[in-house]
Amino acid sequence: MIADGTTQSAPEGVLVTTTSASTQSAPVHEPRPPGPPPSGEFPESPAPPRPRRLPSPIRPGAFGAEDATILVGAAVSALCLVWIVFYQLTSLSGGLGFLICWYLAFLGLTWLGTAQVIERQVATDRVVAVVVVSAAALVIGIIIFIVAWVTYKAVPTIHWAALFTKDQKSFQLAESNALDHVGILHAVIGTFEQVLLAVAIGVPFAVATAIYLNEVRGFGSRTVRTVVTAMSGTPSVVAGVFIYSMLILTHVISYSGFAASLALVVILLPSVTRVVEEVLRVVPSGLREASQALGAPEWRTVWSVVLPTARSGVVTAVLLGIARIVGETAPLLFTAVGSQVLNLNPLSGDQGALPLVIWSDVRQPNAVLIDLAFQAAFVLMAFVLILFVLARIFSRPKGKGGKGRARPEEDDLMARFFVPIPIEESESR
Amino acid sequence: MAIDLDLAPRRPQAPAPTPITVTRDYSTPDKVFRWGVQASGLGVFLLLVAIGSFLAWSGWPAFKVAGWGFFTHSGPVLVGSHANFGVLASLTGTVEVAFVAMVFGAPVAICTALFLSEYAPLRSRRSLIAMIDLAAAIPSIIFGLWAFFELQPNVVGLSTWMSRHLAFIPFFKVTSPPLNASIFIAGLVVGIMIVPIVASICREVFSLAPAGEREAALALGASRWQMIRTVVLPFGRGGMIGAVMLGLGRALEETIAVTIILAGSYKVTGQILQHGGSTISQLIAINFNQSGGALGVHDLLLCGFVLFLLTLVINLAASAIVNRSRSGAGVDL
Amino acid sequence: MTTTLPTAPTGPGHPQPFTGTRTLGEPGQIDAEGVCAWFGGRLVLETVNLTMEQSKVTALIGPSGCGKSTFLRILNRMHEVVPGAQLAGSVKLDGVDIYGPGQRAMETRRHIGMVFQKPNPFPAMTIAENVLAGLKFSRSTPGDKDDLVQEALTKAGLWNEVKDRLGELGGALSGGQQQRLCIARSLAVRPRVLLMDEPCSALDPTSTLRIEQTIKEIADEVTVVIVTHNMQQAQRVSDYCAFFLAAENQPGRVIEAGRTEMIFGEPTDQRTFDYVNGQFG
Repeated sequence: MIADGTTQSAPEGVLVTTTSASTQSAPVHEPRPPGPPPSGEFPESPAPPRPRRLPSPIRPGAFGAEDATILVGAAVSALCLVWIVFYQLTSLSGGLGFLICWYLAFLGLTWLGTAQVIERQVATDRVVAVVVVSAAALVIGIIIFIVAWVTYKAVPTIHWAALFTKDQKSFQLAESNALDHVGILHAVIGTFEQVLLAVAIGVPFAVATAIYLNEVRGFGSRTVRTVVTAMSGTPSVVAGVFIYSMLILTHVISYSGFAASLALVVILLPSVTRVVEEVLRVVPSGLREASQALGAPEWRTVWSVVLPTARSGVVTAVLLGIARIVGETAPLLFTAVGSQVLNLNPLSGDQGALPLVIWSDVRQPNAVLIDLAFQAAFVLMAFVLILFVLARIFSRPKGKGGKGRARPEEDDLMARFFVPIPIEESESR
Repeated sequence: MAIDLDLAPRRPQAPAPTPITVTRDYSTPDKVFRWGVQASGLGVFLLLVAIGSFLAWSGWPAFKVAGWGFFTHSGPVLVGSHANFGVLASLTGTVEVAFVAMVFGAPVAICTALFLSEYAPLRSRRSLIAMIDLAAAIPSIIFGLWAFFELQPNVVGLSTWMSRHLAFIPFFKVTSPPLNASIFIAGLVVGIMIVPIVASICREVFSLAPAGEREAALALGASRWQMIRTVVLPFGRGGMIGAVMLGLGRALEETIAVTIILAGSYKVTGQILQHGGSTISQLIAINFNQSGGALGVHDLLLCGFVLFLLTLVINLAASAIVNRSRSGAGVDL
Repeated sequence: MTTTLPTAPTGPGHPQPFTGTRTLGEPGQIDAEGVCAWFGGRLVLETVNLTMEQSKVTALIGPSGCGKSTFLRILNRMHEVVPGAQLAGSVKLDGVDIYGPGQRAMETRRHIGMVFQKPNPFPAMTIAENVLAGLKFSRSTPGDKDDLVQEALTKAGLWNEVKDRLGELGGALSGGQQQRLCIARSLAVRPRVLLMDEPCSALDPTSTLRIEQTIKEIADEVTVVIVTHNMQQAQRVSDYCAFFLAAENQPGRVIEAGRTEMIFGEPTDQRTFDYVNGQFG
């Protein structure tokens, strides 16, 4: 392969492409048909030319002009059809219904057009592709729309100076209704304290449970695994009424931010446990064995070897855990209740929270409060987005190959948080 | 970690040696460590038991008063008419909202999952997956806000059209006109909210479909859709069912988005297009806020217990199905 | 065989697409000209010119990673299934470029079948359904399904073993039987060329022998191109041989190609001599 010096002109002429073989009537099953050897003497392929002049790649199966014509034609004729049949004859009202009818007509016409021009197999394939792509586009479009819409509704009215420095007291006292006199300080502080407490209680508990499930694998870990799975589906409203019935109804504690934190722990615990368990599972067992072979006790192995290896995964779990609970509204209704004024003490008294501000203000017949609700929604959403991006950065594998194929466990980790995907019963190591 | 040495006799005819049992002697710190993590495992177990038992215990007084009529009557929490309280209207409303959500959300989610696993270009696949996951992270109150201000005005037009031209289907009949704040609209919002859940699980299951059979189908001249229908969907069937059930569990419990939309009338109705209807979680959220006192609280806690049991059963069944399909038990090869 | 329509004139003079002309079942000739292949921008195969004779068995040999399988997959457009894969050049089936405008991959793959390294019957389908799977895709209805199943399974040498249990699932067969089922499945659509990517590497010697017999038997009706690592196998089954080689950090190339006796008997290139005599690789 090292020999060179030949120029790139040889390939075409070298190979004798015979047409005699293709005109043979019946294939002969003999050792060797007589006559001139049909391209038999394949000579040596030309030595690698250097500098090489390579052809540019072709793109087979690319979306061609014909395909585009069919799609556009179907779209336009569907528009006309729906206009005539539905809009004129059945007095369709509203853009949404028109869009749906147009879409269905478009699918039908695409199928018919493709089946006419190409064939049925391709037509079905293409219609399915259109459906699949448009479903995904719909979902992604809705997400982008929601994010953009909240931003659009909130940002123009924000008084940044007031938003994070004032609560709604001044509104309550009817001093002024202007947006520069009210803010969501009480809610931000409330949410901050509640989430912080929930994380402080929930995360160690969750990590310990994950260690129990994956490292110690003691008696009953199968049951606990099932319980964690079952708990991740616990309705958030049930988490709220549970804390209410257990602690507030029995006068153990009163309505407070702390009660809200406990309700949030019920939601946080199974999610974080599941993700940490997943992270611990990908820690190579060789590391554990190496540590044990050095004579380290079990707790040292977990503390100094397993957890540091899984650190980025645990951080991801915590970040996602915060994102998961920060927007929970239902459990707070029965625990923190909500308040118009700043309450710094999470241990006693009603306390505000971001979701509660949205919940209560948006239903007030007052433009200022509705604006404030949107601003709170914007702050909440921005916070969730930031946490989400941070979690993605942390979960990304460091070092080799930043690009390339995604590790499956990384994407699944993100999904697993918000989605009650059951944890697998892993085989014994 | 317990070491379990199993020294099987090499030659069966030889006198069997007595197996040595190696027991591990844990040091004191290790004992504390093991005790600690086992306690937390036990704690999670006790927490679930506590949720069930406290709700049952707090709901018991209400059940004593209402009896089985709790499940056959409909009525809001009202001072005075305590004995007439029942969950039937909210239960049917919950099921209807979840049904609308699944009818709309499940196909969209499965298509989205197919897009992510089969159609999306490799370069943008990861960012698209992140977008879908993000949808699961957006708080439900923001979905509710969006649905109330943006989705509802648009859907009302569609509802009007449906009630006019599809009224032969009993569900789409409308007798009392306002078409906002309906079960249909609530169901649509919840349908959008369950898409990321169902799509995530389906995507994972689809991507596990064996590459060999995919290529076999393509090499036989199958189109992409035929390959999906022959290989991917049969392989992922169990996971899809489980995913849809998990989505159903989510749809049954959704509180805030539904509460923002629904008007809350406690009458059993099959007419999903018109104003009215309630769900269990909406019933709890709305009335809890108002009553605050002790009266009627037991009814709501009993409702909470019913919701808890409902979602627990569905989620456990769904988890079992998804786990079995992920471990590949459905396909032995 | 019941659906064979008049053969369209083929050859360089009549470059009409074979789409729509149902000339299935006639062995075809493949001419690959200037085929290059890339994976993720990295060149893995450079300027391969090769003709695969009608009704003959052509073996592609060479060490691992030299681009044999990639080349084989280019021949029926399976290469483009892999994400990030690109190619250049032309592959002509009886004079018609399968990468030409208006050619569809699914149609091409129906004319040029493929058998993979690992047996991959559809596990959820019965044996008979597996054989008929290709026809289901193209929506063509054979005159008699039972006849076709029997014919395809007989050609693949599997009929006597499975004739009483056609309703069983394809996954229930042994590895060698599964591979022959895959061959039968490919033959049932009456391809003109059958590509085989190391079809015996996952099988035991007895099954291997059985498959080699099958290959010899079907060569009358279908042109076979087989990738193999087994020198003896290449010698036993093939009429022509092409030796691929990739130097370190270089794309794969065809070093030498010709009649099998020549490649194994009197190769002109030292590297070919070394390889077929087991002196490297």
